[in-house]
Amino acid sequence: MRDYIIRRVLGMIPLILIVMIVSFGIFSLVPNPFAALMENPRIKKADIQRLIKAWGFDLPWHLRFFKWFSGVIRGDWGPSLLYPGSLARDIISRALPVTVRVMGIEFLVSLAIALPIGIISAVKQYSMTDYVVTVISFLGMSMPTFWFGLLMMMLFSVILKRPSGMPLLPAGGIITPGLEEAPFWAKLGDRAQYLVMPVLVLAFSSVGSWARYMRSSMLEVIRQDYIRTARAKGVSERRVVNKHALRNAMIPIVTLVALSMPGIVGGAAITETIFNIPGMGRLIIAAEIKADYPTAMIGLMLISILVIAFNLVADIVYAWVDPRIKYS
Amino acid sequence: MDNREVLVDIKNLRTFFYTEDGVVPAVDGIDLTIHRGEVVGLVGESGCGKSVTALSIIRLIPNPPGKIIGGEIFFHGEDLLKKHEEDMRMIRGDKISMIFQEPMTSLNPVYTIGDQISEAITLHQKIDDVEAKKRTIEMLHLVGIPEPERRFSQYPHEMSGGMRQRVMIAMALSSNPDLLISDEATTALDVTIQAQILDLMRGLQKKLGMAILIITHNLAVVAEMAETIAIAYAGKIVENASAKEIFKSPRHPYTYGLLQSIPKFTEKKTNEPLPAIEGMVPSPYHMPKGCRFNPRCPFATEKCREEEPEIVELTPGHLVRCFHPIEP
Amino acid sequence: MAEKVIETKKKGQRKSSDDYTYLGMVFHRLTRHKLAMVGAFMLIFILLFVFAGPLIWRADPNQQIEGLDGMFNVPSRAHPLGTDDYGRDVLARMFFGGRISLFIGFISAISATLVGALVGLVAGYYGGWADDLLMRFTDAMLSIPTFPLLIALASVLGKGVWQIILVIVIFGWMVDARLVRGLVLSLKEQEYVEAAHAIGASANRIMWRHLFPNTLAVLIVSTTIGIGGAIIYEASISFLGFGVQAPFASWGNMLQNAQQFIWNSPRLIIYPGLAIFMTVLGFNFFGDGLRDAIDPKLKL
Repeated sequence: MRDYIIRRVLGMIPLILIVMIVSFGIFSLVPNPFAALMENPRIKKADIQRLIKAWGFDLPWHLRFFKWFSGVIRGDWGPSLLYPGSLARDIISRALPVTVRVMGIEFLVSLAIALPIGIISAVKQYSMTDYVVTVISFLGMSMPTFWFGLLMMMLFSVILKRPSGMPLLPAGGIITPGLEEAPFWAKLGDRAQYLVMPVLVLAFSSVGSWARYMRSSMLEVIRQDYIRTARAKGVSERRVVNKHALRNAMIPIVTLVALSMPGIVGGAAITETIFNIPGMGRLIIAAEIKADYPTAMIGLMLISILVIAFNLVADIVYAWVDPRIKYS
Repeated sequence: MDNREVLVDIKNLRTFFYTEDGVVPAVDGIDLTIHRGEVVGLVGESGCGKSVTALSIIRLIPNPPGKIIGGEIFFHGEDLLKKHEEDMRMIRGDKISMIFQEPMTSLNPVYTIGDQISEAITLHQKIDDVEAKKRTIEMLHLVGIPEPERRFSQYPHEMSGGMRQRVMIAMALSSNPDLLISDEATTALDVTIQAQILDLMRGLQKKLGMAILIITHNLAVVAEMAETIAIAYAGKIVENASAKEIFKSPRHPYTYGLLQSIPKFTEKKTNEPLPAIEGMVPSPYHMPKGCRFNPRCPFATEKCREEEPEIVELTPGHLVRCFHPIEP
Repeated sequence: MAEKVIETKKKGQRKSSDDYTYLGMVFHRLTRHKLAMVGAFMLIFILLFVFAGPLIWRADPNQQIEGLDGMFNVPSRAHPLGTDDYGRDVLARMFFGGRISLFIGFISAISATLVGALVGLVAGYYGGWADDLLMRFTDAMLSIPTFPLLIALASVLGKGVWQIILVIVIFGWMVDARLVRGLVLSLKEQEYVEAAHAIGASANRIMWRHLFPNTLAVLIVSTTIGIGGAIIYEASISFLGFGVQAPFASWGNMLQNAQQFIWNSPRLIIYPGLAIFMTVLGFNFFGDGLRDAIDPKLKL
């Protein structure tokens, strides 16, 4: 088991390198990353020169890569071009918790809903319940999130109003301005109303896929011979499902969960954009659009590394949870 | 005539499968009697309905698409087909146990074998976990598994096929059932292991005195083990007699054909090819009119193609379903 | 003695699985899959809408009506779906936008599948270091979060239809590569491959003539579902301003345009979004049914 882990960790390294090279490579394709800056009258020419030197743009690309690479490792993530005067690092560390909060809640909500209905759907295959769940899953998976987001906004902010005339749910942002210093509970209640729509929108599509995964995993397991053996032993159908089947069906699900964790940080870029949530997804997209390549590259790289790391976690979890791998 | 008490009496059992492609009359009027402590063999080619008969006895026919549509199965005088599911559950694993063909997949991979056997015990007997563990280890010992204490905490994948089948047997016999149904339990094993398992079963039968229903397509297996043999073809029983009678003087052309096709070492060497029964088992969707065996029967007459023969007792204890049984 | 299995079928009785060819069986199962048929109808409707529509309702999608009176018209006889912020007829824009969105979806999905299949075939068949290398690369590409990189690439490559297709293909081939590789690995062990080897077939021939056709079924399903995904990608990219540019319409950029008018003309959001939704749903339903029809027991 330990050898397995060590081997996998070592295997991660080339992956991370490739990712860093690809990230860097794509942005290097841009002919002049400083074009936008040069047009901005507020930025002094000397500063731009400094940036060029700092970023190694006066060097050939392979040396540039090493310069960037060594900087990144040391924690120097460069300046932010989106918000001149700030460091990319600060911007990112402010955006990260926002995304984690929204996505984290959405993740938990989705799983809490999707797994049980997936199980029920499988146990009662071909029933009306199964049919309804299947159709809803498809609806969720096919729905373009930004459209759904806009529709929700239309419904909850334009059409539905509170008695005071204000929209039922705020159309964007994460906190009511002025409440930043409010006590914890007040803040919580306030924050909650901003979260309802984005979480709803994101969860709708996730629930669809998770329910389907759970359902198909469960169906696969229920067909197995050992389930028949359990029934022949006299085990009640309830126990067959909850003890014998579930434990086996959860194995692939657990790995899928581990693999989806990076999404919590990557965020849903478009949903964040629509709902004006200052998170990582929106940041990276905005950085790319506004040509703030340092920030964009770092953001991209962070998420990629998380993906790779969680791939490893998923493998370890899988090996730990399935006795066939643990004891072999 | 058998003086022992009648344990299981199957009368005119009909179990059909309603699939998208048509109705499959898997078991179409099967009669079978098993006495206390008797070893009965149920022999036939794949698809003749023998496994379905076994599953019908303990009512584990998968409900879509299968259904027991007629007949009675008397166990200790009570019709099992009229019992509530909760009562059936008490019988399964306790009074009637079943072991299956594929030892590699019949045990739950995520629980230890000790756990699985103990579960069978605690389900039906009012003893605590510690007692159950002791009993389990006794059973493991009984079925010939070396180092039972160590094996208790092993997982199925750490054992060979033969050992897993022994575990299955231990599980099935843990509550000292009246009837053990063995559904092709040795088919998937090596010949030598097969012999071992059959020896084990024979020894256990003498020791514990339970009745065994051995289901197999292999005449050699029943030759060793069974007192009475029933031959099944296309969902019906075509011959039923003591093992001695079946081998000495088979009356049904099918039985005769089966016996002819077994290579025998003692006969003089000839250059003739091994006789085989011509044709194939009929498709369940297209059963022949009249006697179901008629397309392949060398003795078929017009009557055989028009009418279905009924079961007739030719000599005491020897039942045949044929218009022109072979003379002894 | 000849086999005489007398047909017990009466006239009009349903045929059973013995009576069909493989393709016939697939079709038979497909037509009985409710959701798949719903999906098929949706797709047929959309295809008709997009291709036959302009023949019935002739209007120029790019013709603008000047002045405030032309903007945001409510559906009327002159403009069945109303007009947009430039006074352009929405129905006509839906037709042509649909053509572009569907075109992009279709081409990118097929291309991605082909590229992926090629990679998977080579990796699976040759094994060894080629397999290692290709799969590491595939894994690395899979690790990079698709969406931000899509945008990055889009911003680098510039805006336009072919750029989108390229971008979608670059990020879409990996799934099929993995799928095909897995399939090839299991197929490779089967006897007919050994037999082909034994008679001296070249690697190329084995790959294309023996292995590839067996992956076709899986690939067709993957492509069908991939079209849905590609359409959403196109819409997302256009939504952010890359991709299809004005004055050309695509369902994606129509949505993007409509976003700012959520307060005064919400209907502009509904039409293109609904179209995308229905199209993707149709492909997903149909693709799922196809998967079940090809092999009801297959877990993809």
